[in-house]
Amino acid sequence: MEAKSGKAGDWRSYERVLLPKVKDYHQLEVYEANGGYKALREILTNDKWDPTAVTNEVKKSGLKGRGGAGFPTGLKWSFMPPVVEGVPRYLCCNGDESEPGTFKDRQLLEYNPHAVFEGMLIASYAMSLAGSYLYIRGEYADWITHMEGELKKAYDKGYVGKNIMGSGFSSELVIHKGAGAYICGEESSLMNSLEGKRAYPRVKPPFPAQKGIWGYPTTINNVETLAAVPYIINRGGAWFAGTGAEKHPGPVLYGISGHVNRPGVYEYPTGMLMTDLIYEVAGGIRGGKKLKAVVPGGSSTPVLRADMIEGVTMDADSLREAGSMMGTSGMLVMDEDTDMVSFLRRITHFYHHESCGQCTPCREGTGWLENIVTRIDEGEGHLRDLDLLVDLCSEMEGRTVCALADAAAWPVRYTIDRFRSEFEAKCRASLVSSGIDLAEVSA
Amino acid sequence: MPSVTIDGQTFEFEGRPGLLQFCLQHGLEVPHFCYHPAMSAPANCRQCLVDVGTPEMDRETRQPRLDEAGNPVIRFFPKLQTSCTMEITDGMVVKSHRSSEAVERAQKDNLELLLINHPLDCPICDQAGHCPLQIQAYKYGPEGSRFEFEKVNKPKHIPLGPQVMLDGERCINCTRCVRFTTEISESHQLTIIERGVRNYPMTPPGVTFDEPYSMNVIDICPVGALTSRDSRFKARIWEMSRTASVTTGGANGNNCYYWVKDNQIMKVTPRDNPSVNEYWLPDEERLDYHRFNDDRPEGPAIGKIKTDWNAAYDAAASLLKDADASRVVFMGSAYATVEDNYLLMKLAASLGADAPTYIPHIEEGHGDDWLRTDDRSPNREGCERLGMMPAGDSLAARLNAGEVDVLYVLEEDPVAAGLATTEQLANVRVILHAYNTTNQTMPAADVFLPAATVVETVGTFVNHKGHAQRVRPAKAIRGMNRTLMMEVGKSRADLHGTPFDRWHDESNLVDCQPGWVSLPAVAIRLGHAMDYRGPKYIMHEIADSIDAFDGATYAAMGEQGVRLEDVGAAV
Repeated sequence: MEAKSGKAGDWRSYERVLLPKVKDYHQLEVYEANGGYKALREILTNDKWDPTAVTNEVKKSGLKGRGGAGFPTGLKWSFMPPVVEGVPRYLCCNGDESEPGTFKDRQLLEYNPHAVFEGMLIASYAMSLAGSYLYIRGEYADWITHMEGELKKAYDKGYVGKNIMGSGFSSELVIHKGAGAYICGEESSLMNSLEGKRAYPRVKPPFPAQKGIWGYPTTINNVETLAAVPYIINRGGAWFAGTGAEKHPGPVLYGISGHVNRPGVYEYPTGMLMTDLIYEVAGGIRGGKKLKAVVPGGSSTPVLRADMIEGVTMDADSLREAGSMMGTSGMLVMDEDTDMVSFLRRITHFYHHESCGQCTPCREGTGWLENIVTRIDEGEGHLRDLDLLVDLCSEMEGRTVCALADAAAWPVRYTIDRFRSEFEAKCRASLVSSGIDLAEVSA
Repeated sequence: MPSVTIDGQTFEFEGRPGLLQFCLQHGLEVPHFCYHPAMSAPANCRQCLVDVGTPEMDRETRQPRLDEAGNPVIRFFPKLQTSCTMEITDGMVVKSHRSSEAVERAQKDNLELLLINHPLDCPICDQAGHCPLQIQAYKYGPEGSRFEFEKVNKPKHIPLGPQVMLDGERCINCTRCVRFTTEISESHQLTIIERGVRNYPMTPPGVTFDEPYSMNVIDICPVGALTSRDSRFKARIWEMSRTASVTTGGANGNNCYYWVKDNQIMKVTPRDNPSVNEYWLPDEERLDYHRFNDDRPEGPAIGKIKTDWNAAYDAAASLLKDADASRVVFMGSAYATVEDNYLLMKLAASLGADAPTYIPHIEEGHGDDWLRTDDRSPNREGCERLGMMPAGDSLAARLNAGEVDVLYVLEEDPVAAGLATTEQLANVRVILHAYNTTNQTMPAADVFLPAATVVETVGTFVNHKGHAQRVRPAKAIRGMNRTLMMEVGKSRADLHGTPFDRWHDESNLVDCQPGWVSLPAVAIRLGHAMDYRGPKYIMHEIADSIDAFDGATYAAMGEQGVRLEDVGAAV
């Protein structure tokens, strides 16, 4: 069929893979009846699948990490050092989904947990490791309980644990519940949290593949990334590579929230037109209003004005050109009535609240940003505050151990850059209310 | 040899040195807070950022790529790097704040951020004057602040344990204290609690910060967040002089500074010495200074009657002269210096009496294989090397048998040590050199000669591993010019003192004498000249005459002491 729009082909006829229309797919019996654990059986029983072959298939698929950074998954797996007898190595599935506007992993954990397990087991095989962790944010308590039940079923069936399916390959899988901190989603911080330490990000190098969990080689992948793996094995890397945008392929879960008629998680190929997602998939702007701004991939990705999204597709290249990032593909949609200062105030509050406090620029800077934005929002700002905010962003960006400072600074930098008049208006309003002659100030 | 270029200056190096440490060792200051050479580098303060580049390598030839002028092409990291976590590699080019505006700016920015929530209560902060944050803010920080909001409020004056007080607001979250308890003392009694800008160090629930090394976190704290409950608010740093010496509460001879104001010891802090105590000092040795200030005798006495020094020396000499040498017992001391013990041995020998013995002070189970030892005296090894024997039970037997007429005690307390009772000493003439009026042998003393303590004298102690180290006078005493004993001009060794400081006031001067003054004074009255120009020359004689001290001159010992084996002394 001809591509209708964007790079996603005819997305209207796309059939869901990660979240198929199957009732009770989260239960082992249903998952099995619909081809579940087939990929795992295939790689464990068919001699053509040695660990390198599995990794190569994932490389061939072009799968890029779905956690925000978009690093090629197969390449990441190949960074694991050669196996050394007696030296453990780990896989960790990062389910600490906590970026505002991002809620797609939750959907997988709830409706398709066995694909996550299966993907983790296949990855374990590909990287020749015998132990993996599934780190899930603590707020997903109900699903964690449910997943633990499903994992036990998988253990009982011999899909996980010792000598899986009689193949001789053994791999343990442990679900670990986080305790509610955004920073735990940062991979090195997650490892510290998993080890029972304070969740401070680690200095890199050494990278996790060199020195990860308990000091041993570790790979960390996002939930959605690993959930895609069984389908890549079943359908072939070529199928995945041929879905969606060429350089950023595959099915992807779009989490759309904000002022749209039908917010939710939608599975479609990458490379979809942003406008299709907003106006077709999510049913357009609530109340028939006009679009004002979109944050394409979670709160830390730079906000785009409505006039900037024409023809922009949901893949790394197109979004970079447009001046933003794919991030977690959690899209925040804002209508014409949105107060961008209030929006930014909420975002800065989040990063202030969640900065772990390890590095000076982030610990001190996030709070200061919130202070200033709050002051402007409350009508007590000064025009000079805007330059100070941008200056503070420069003081924070790229000067910390992890990327939280960047994540906190970008929304400030780009929201001011792209909506400066709104900020100035609020600052001017404060001058008016304080009785200062505006003509004098601007002169 | 591989080389690195820092601010245009080229240095050769060996191995894989850390960049920050390398700069500091070469006198190139790089501002920093969280880095400490003895601990891991978390790179959390972000103050030591520098611009780092490495030569671009040709993939095929594996040689550095050269530009038209034949110089290696340097590829700089896209971001500034923390020098504390950077290992130097061959050909690396580093730009610090001295040669890079970007670095200078980054350091200034970082200090602005560090200061926004730091209370500017320097006027009442114990750390002011030697505060790394204060000093570096002046040197590298911005003028003024653009922060116009209320600072974060955190808990203040929280006792973390018996010795350490926390001011959460001053904390800049460098985690040095936490790392000390996890990596150095391994007590795990501190952690960071809360999150983000509200972070501060705290003990885990139900835990008191009472480990024997807790006070070290006070020294390594780069701000005034952790202060000593013992010495806080007692003296400003610029009101004190500090003197390099060693502690005497154990046999390890931990290097320290004695801090003095108005001739009173205010506090004791560690002095770096990689071969003895590194950067650390146990709490018990920091708190063991009150005996230098309090309960000090005022001048010599005959019987219970105060007298002058000449009269006291005369009395001591006449007691010795009149006695049968075989009925005189000399007792040296593991608390006294090698020099003083040596002079006592000479005095005993000149009279023909038995060689002095010393009293060991062993407290089983006290030591910890680190800086604390079972031996609670500083100079047992020195006594042994002089050839002195430990005092046994024989003293009591000889006293009971009435075989002792005169007991000569140098800086010891045989009654408190259980070697004799005051009743047993009733018929014995006792000559006692002692530091404190709490000395339990004092009531039995016929001639009492107040002795200078370790903070008032010059001399040598040998630690239990054979490391000979000097002590220097931190306090002045009556009748002794301290600066002359320092062997350097003015107060140079004091570091904080000035010629006009309080050395010259008369407050709290104790009327006492070091053994190397009082022992020759007694000896000369007995016709045995002990003519030394000072302790240095006594040590020369010891080094020349005793194999176990061969080579142990003051010059060899210097500031850091010397392992006697290393200078050729017999083991």
